[in-house]
Amino acid sequence: MTTSLIKRLGAFSAVAFLVLAPLSVFVSSASGAGHTPYQTTRKNAGTPNSSVVVKNKSGVVISYGNSAIMYNAPSSKLVTLGQALFLENCASCHGVEANGVAANGTSGAYPNLVGLGPATIDFWIDSGRMPAADPRAVEAPRRTPRLTPVQALAVAAWVNSLLPSYPDIPTPNLKNANVADGAALFALNCAACHTIEGDGDALAEDTFAPSLRKIPAFQVVEAIRTGPANMPRFTGNLSDYQVRDIVKYVTTEIEHPQNPGGLGLGGLGPVAEGFVGLLLGVGILALVAFWVGERQ
Amino acid sequence: MSITVPNTKRAKQAAKGPYGHLGTVLNELDDRLGVAEGGRSFMDKIFPDHWSFMLGEIALYSFVVIMVTGVFLTLYYIPSQALVTYHGSYLPLDGMRVTEAFASTVNLSFAVRAGLLMRQMHHWSCDIFIGSMVVHMARVFFTGAFRKPRELNWSIGLTLLTLAIVNGFLGYSLPDDLVSGTGIRIAYSIVLSIPLVGTYLGFFAFGGNFPGTSVIPRFFIMHVLIVPGIMLGLVGAHMFLLYRQKHTQFPGEGRTEKNVVGSPMFPVFMAKTTGFLLLVTGVTALLGAFAQINPIWQFGPYEASRISYAVQPDWYMAFLDGMLRIFPAWSFHSFGYTIPFEVTIPAVIFPGLLFGVAYAWPTLERLFTKDNEMHNLLDRPSNRPKRTAAGAAVLAMLSTLFLASSTDVIANFFHISLTTVLWSMRVLVLVSPFVAYPITYKICKEMQGIKGGGKRKTPNVVTRTEEGEYLASSAPVYVDDLPSELEPTEVPRYITSPPKEPDVAEPGARIVER
Repeated sequence: MTTSLIKRLGAFSAVAFLVLAPLSVFVSSASGAGHTPYQTTRKNAGTPNSSVVVKNKSGVVISYGNSAIMYNAPSSKLVTLGQALFLENCASCHGVEANGVAANGTSGAYPNLVGLGPATIDFWIDSGRMPAADPRAVEAPRRTPRLTPVQALAVAAWVNSLLPSYPDIPTPNLKNANVADGAALFALNCAACHTIEGDGDALAEDTFAPSLRKIPAFQVVEAIRTGPANMPRFTGNLSDYQVRDIVKYVTTEIEHPQNPGGLGLGGLGPVAEGFVGLLLGVGILALVAFWVGERQ
Repeated sequence: MSITVPNTKRAKQAAKGPYGHLGTVLNELDDRLGVAEGGRSFMDKIFPDHWSFMLGEIALYSFVVIMVTGVFLTLYYIPSQALVTYHGSYLPLDGMRVTEAFASTVNLSFAVRAGLLMRQMHHWSCDIFIGSMVVHMARVFFTGAFRKPRELNWSIGLTLLTLAIVNGFLGYSLPDDLVSGTGIRIAYSIVLSIPLVGTYLGFFAFGGNFPGTSVIPRFFIMHVLIVPGIMLGLVGAHMFLLYRQKHTQFPGEGRTEKNVVGSPMFPVFMAKTTGFLLLVTGVTALLGAFAQINPIWQFGPYEASRISYAVQPDWYMAFLDGMLRIFPAWSFHSFGYTIPFEVTIPAVIFPGLLFGVAYAWPTLERLFTKDNEMHNLLDRPSNRPKRTAAGAAVLAMLSTLFLASSTDVIANFFHISLTTVLWSMRVLVLVSPFVAYPITYKICKEMQGIKGGGKRKTPNVVTRTEEGEYLASSAPVYVDDLPSELEPTEVPRYITSPPKEPDVAEPGARIVER
């Protein structure tokens, strides 16, 4: 009797171990989270709080990030140049102190730039949106940039010197990126506005989601992390690794789509297909009928 | 009177008749099946030659292309919503969890030889099929070919158009990609919006709540068997009625309500129409080879949580989508029930009305004009200004709705506000019929007044008088239209059945009647 009881106990404990062991692993991983410097939360994605941090001698963060994306602060040597450029190109609307108070004293018409972080300033200038062609437009379109990349960094450096903030200028490393994960994340997070083929489209009123066909990789990260104009700012729900996967998908499949079926028809989908089917397909065949048949 | 053929080469050749071996084969067939008489009248059938009568043939031959390419696709397509992990040649999808329907469509595009070509030809020929049906229908409408005795064929054609649109939508949904899944979602919502029975109908059709797991298998069997089966029968009925009632013709020299002027089925029409079949196939193959359609690998699989902006249906569903987009958001909430008028009216009541009026049009016109005569001669559209203007008004409204289904694309392309486009479309869809009607009516009336309008221009004959004056006058008739050509020629009846002979021919001999 006792031996069988012991056997039963042994079997029971083995089963209990098998059931509870994975659970305990799960519990420990859940409770252990939150204390590593790499943890991304809803608020700190793209900031030094989530990453390995490099500081200079005076203790200022100059670089942080991970193997997916490195964020680098613009050089402080550019601050003087940046202020000059800002006064020349930006101050008429954003004010000489970048606080959104224009030269004539009105405030509230233009955004206050203080504390927005270098990536925001760099994105707007380097994508040609600022200085704006039409300051009253609801949304500024992408244009050929008026300032060079270094000048954009200089302006970002000066604005950031007023009230240091994040995110810094990102440099994605696409070497180990997973394009399939990027495609899935793109469909989930981006396609609802930018369309699944990345062409962009008109949104409510005068706003629009721009086309993603010709965008440098670092600007994709800047846009995701800073949320320019109507775009939401994606922070906690996308880790740097996921952002890198999206960037990989955008810079490969969106910018160079695979069209093995022939002409891509502008990626406009059934609108273009309908026009081709009706005008070319039915049109040519009607002309053929006109050619073959009697025309009296 | 029968003769026994002597056993010489020339006599044997003569005995075979002018058609040689073919004649022998036909004789053998006639002996068994009695095809000579029917075949004779079939081959002598006269078809008018006007080019616009060939628009329906584009539809017929596109249907053939659709069926042939469709059979190829069913060999590789798997109608299942079971989840599999995609490991194929398209790397951006590698490792993604997708349905078997999506995976098999991507695989048949990339891994099956000629698979992508067949898929694209199938899709292009569908666009061409329905497009040519609409153009054919417009021809029939504007020339009055639907009048008595052809009202039934008008209804059959309209049913074919409806079924083709439905089947096009079903087929578009089968790959289970992101864009088509959104379409199924909209279709499900439209079914739900039907008052009282909507939820029951939706659960009945989709086998439960959306998306479920039985949509794709059900759509598949509808798409490849049930709807095409009905369509095939209706195409047969359409052709048979055309054959039985004979084709209409435009009025002209020597053409009356009681005759048909044109080319015989054999050999002229048959050669022409066979060539046309090849040309339709050729144009479809060119489009399939050089123009990409529905690149589902760029869209990815459908998941209810994912959505893409700028999603349009195929062009033949666009008028419905356009109506849905521009209709104001009205709905009724009371007594614990909701009736979403913003869906019910544009997507259920409006198409019902549109097709209802189209079905009833021959009867309505007969009642309105009190014209109960048989009509085998067609109208010149400008001679029926009210009908032409009404048709133009409906086409104007449908074209606006067609454009309205791409409000976002228009707004993005021309950099204008989406709201502006939306309101423009709302105004246009109401205004355009009332603009198109009077303009068309006026043009028709003007054209009626043109001297010699609707008739072929005849050459000018310039004469010089003895005083040196030049006088131009138009020739009385075009050289090709001389009535001498229209005299019916006697049809030689080579394959008539031999007269009843009481005496029995000797074995091996052939009775020859010239």
